[in-house]
Amino acid sequence: MKLRTSPVFVEGPMPLIAPAVMFLSLFFLVPLGYVVWMSLSQPVIGLQNFGRLLNSSLFASVLYSTFKTALLVTLLSLLFAYPLAYAAANGSKRFATFLLTVVALSFWTSYLVRTYAWMVILGNQGPVTALLSWLGWDPAPKILFTTFSATLAMTHALIPFMTMSLFAVMKRIDPLYVRAAENLGAHPLRAFVSVYLPLSAPGIVNGCTLVFITCLGFYVMPVLLGSPRDQMIAGIIGDQIEQTLDFGLGSAISIVLLALTLAVYAVYNRFFGLDRLWAGGDR
Amino acid sequence: MEMFKNASATPLSRRAVLGAGLFGAAMLASPSIRRASAEENALYVNTWGGDWEASVKKFLFEPFTADTGIEIRTVSPISFAKLAAQKTTGVYEFDVTTLGVADVARANGAGLLETLEGHVDTSKLWEGAIYENGLATHGFATQMAYNAAKFPEGLKNWSDFFNVEKFPGNRSLQRHAARVLAIALLADGVPADQLFPYDLDRAFASLDRIKDHVRVWWTAGPQARQILTDGEVDMAGLWDSDAFGAKEASKEPIEIVWDQAVVDKACWIVAKDSPRAENGFKLISHIGQNAEGLAKFCIADQNGPMNPKSFDFIPAEVAARMPTHPEHLARAVMLDGAKLLPQLDELSTRFESWVGI
Amino acid sequence: MNVWIRSLAILIAAFVAAPMFIVIPMSFSSAASLAFPPPGYTLQNYVNFFSDPNWTQPLTNSLLIGLGTVCMTMLVAVPASFALVRHVFIGRTVFNLLIMLPMIVPTIVMAIGYYIYFGQLRLVQSYLGVILAHSCIALPMSTLILTAALKGFDRSVERAAMNLGASPFTTFRLITFPILRPAFTVAGLFAFIASFDEAVIGLFISGRDKATLPRQMFNAVRQEADPTISAASSFLFLLVLAGVCIWLAPQLVRRRTRLLGQTDGNGAAQPAAATS
Repeated sequence: MKLRTSPVFVEGPMPLIAPAVMFLSLFFLVPLGYVVWMSLSQPVIGLQNFGRLLNSSLFASVLYSTFKTALLVTLLSLLFAYPLAYAAANGSKRFATFLLTVVALSFWTSYLVRTYAWMVILGNQGPVTALLSWLGWDPAPKILFTTFSATLAMTHALIPFMTMSLFAVMKRIDPLYVRAAENLGAHPLRAFVSVYLPLSAPGIVNGCTLVFITCLGFYVMPVLLGSPRDQMIAGIIGDQIEQTLDFGLGSAISIVLLALTLAVYAVYNRFFGLDRLWAGGDR
Repeated sequence: MEMFKNASATPLSRRAVLGAGLFGAAMLASPSIRRASAEENALYVNTWGGDWEASVKKFLFEPFTADTGIEIRTVSPISFAKLAAQKTTGVYEFDVTTLGVADVARANGAGLLETLEGHVDTSKLWEGAIYENGLATHGFATQMAYNAAKFPEGLKNWSDFFNVEKFPGNRSLQRHAARVLAIALLADGVPADQLFPYDLDRAFASLDRIKDHVRVWWTAGPQARQILTDGEVDMAGLWDSDAFGAKEASKEPIEIVWDQAVVDKACWIVAKDSPRAENGFKLISHIGQNAEGLAKFCIADQNGPMNPKSFDFIPAEVAARMPTHPEHLARAVMLDGAKLLPQLDELSTRFESWVGI
Repeated sequence: MNVWIRSLAILIAAFVAAPMFIVIPMSFSSAASLAFPPPGYTLQNYVNFFSDPNWTQPLTNSLLIGLGTVCMTMLVAVPASFALVRHVFIGRTVFNLLIMLPMIVPTIVMAIGYYIYFGQLRLVQSYLGVILAHSCIALPMSTLILTAALKGFDRSVERAAMNLGASPFTTFRLITFPILRPAFTVAGLFAFIASFDEAVIGLFISGRDKATLPRQMFNAVRQEADPTISAASSFLFLLVLAGVCIWLAPQLVRRRTRLLGQTDGNGAAQPAAATS
């Protein structure tokens, strides 16, 4: 009997590649191409849409606040997620399961459910305002529809992403390294800073990149919870589709957002290689 | 052994896959089937949702369905942009909607509306019922309402609303160029009779003063009502029915100001080239002749009916609450669509880029 | 582990989990406002959610679109992941990047592209349009899951089957697929949830008849102040809670049995579960 070496039921990769290439070309690349084309051709062919953006101080401030918010959310979610991931990676199995379950619960819950929950919590008739005025803050500040509420909600929404990225790396760190440092006389904090932290750095980089990029293009939460005077870039794109019907300008803003996102990926790819980004990440 | 056990399960899963495929095919085919049957005897109407939709359904749509057998389904909220987008995409989410006088003039100018002439029997309607291919059925006011606990000294007019030093606090206005610009000019001291056409530079300079204090640019009535009721904002420019609703529902005292209220008229229109336009004309004719239904709708939603016959069904004390009541109208400003027409495109583009980018 | 770190982790876990639970009491609120605690209690929100066509239709739509997305995604992702793991070919890196691209491009950018493109194809407000768009979104993650599983697949069992005379298709049907079934399930589940939770594209292209549940919820929050959103939120959250608990339960049971000194019976399913 002839020994078959390629047990896949089709010989050669072409028939396997073709569906994805065709599908993505037709339903992903073409619509993406439309965005590029619209930005350069609506209402007339030329760069006038980008010129409008360059000359708009409002667009500059939108870009600035988008970057600021994304950076803040990234740092905050790292701050929250690091201890969580650390405890899950180094704690007892039971404790780790508990923590990961909590993270999974948040991860799988729809953004809109979480948005609604924050509207109730931060609303003027909600528990936080009640608590603040009970503590004697009078009149209690209005929290909903501010940059603060949007930042808080986005941080909360992205902690699971960050935790997953960190956990994936931390789980592979051999606890013996830290123990060795401690046995050699290092203070636990010093052992953590000089041994554990550098070893977990790939997770930090991965998590921060993913969270930052997700945050740059976030639509739902900034639009529903944020302040109209501090909009983020995705919200502005939505306005062009929904309010002004200016698809040329909307596409141009989209191209700017896409370029920014790709730039972040390019930097990551230059130093770490894209393949590693998703290896530990999730969703 | 384990493997063979698994293997024996495959015929079942293959059947499942086949079933899923068939199911998928049926599912993909179903929209066209459903659409075909829906075309016959349905009509999609764009509404403001909330209480507005409940009243309009009960008093204007249900009698129509009872008389004609045409079922009405609703889509909300009302969006001028969507009306314009429909014609471009050819996909109609709704056939009939209501627009204010400025929007109806703009839409008609842009060829977004079906002609009512010849489709709706105007001889059965009152004088001046048709405006720019829309049936103007009722007037409604955009008025100021504020939290009286926060401002015991009280706000009198839009100038106070725009005075952020004297009355600090969060504000909300509608994301609607024609109405907001009128308010901005009134706040800047432009007399009501010199309002139209708008002095745009002056209007935007005036708006700049409150930009940082507007916490929400509302896009639907119920939303404005809710944020005022919950105290998310301390003052708002909102529709009279929602101002009244907020006053009723709020724990804090809400004061309503009728002075300088901006009165607009709601006009029912049929979207150009809509596949169910015929049914749309039937609905508009029916609403035009349903004086009692319009009266009840106006009572429920606190609007002022344009159909004079409707007042036969409205008690005097209720009529006194309406925005079109002479006493209110004397203090109010009527939005003038005709005088605004040449500016409409410019003012809404400029307003949108002022609000957004 | 340090008790401080433990306590800190518990506090953060509370911050992660607690806010979402507020939707449960809110769903029984009798008021149309966001007031908490609710002034009165009623089941009306649930009655609306399960009877008002404005809510039942989007729920049905989202389920159908989710299932459609699973089928479409798997049809593309399965061959692609076999190609990526088992073949070396020119342009493999580019192909891999192409598959990952939908994860890179922000959804709002695609939303405007689909709005225009599908508008011309007359696919706005159709199931097919939303399914196609959602399948693009779901493809990268599903492919990642499948390739990860395929890499760990021991091909000697396939060879054995073929040496015994099984055709490649029979081998796939009887050997490869059954062994990889957990990975297929997880990849499909991811595709379903990616679609079911997707709000932005759904918001702009699903339209009236094919409105997705996230779209309806978005509009309920932004425009209509419709209190039915509380019941919808609570329903979705409880679904996730139940799902997570069901996933958790066998793990706890297994742990118990391991403590009793017995061996872990179902090792194969674990890596799959761990990815979620």
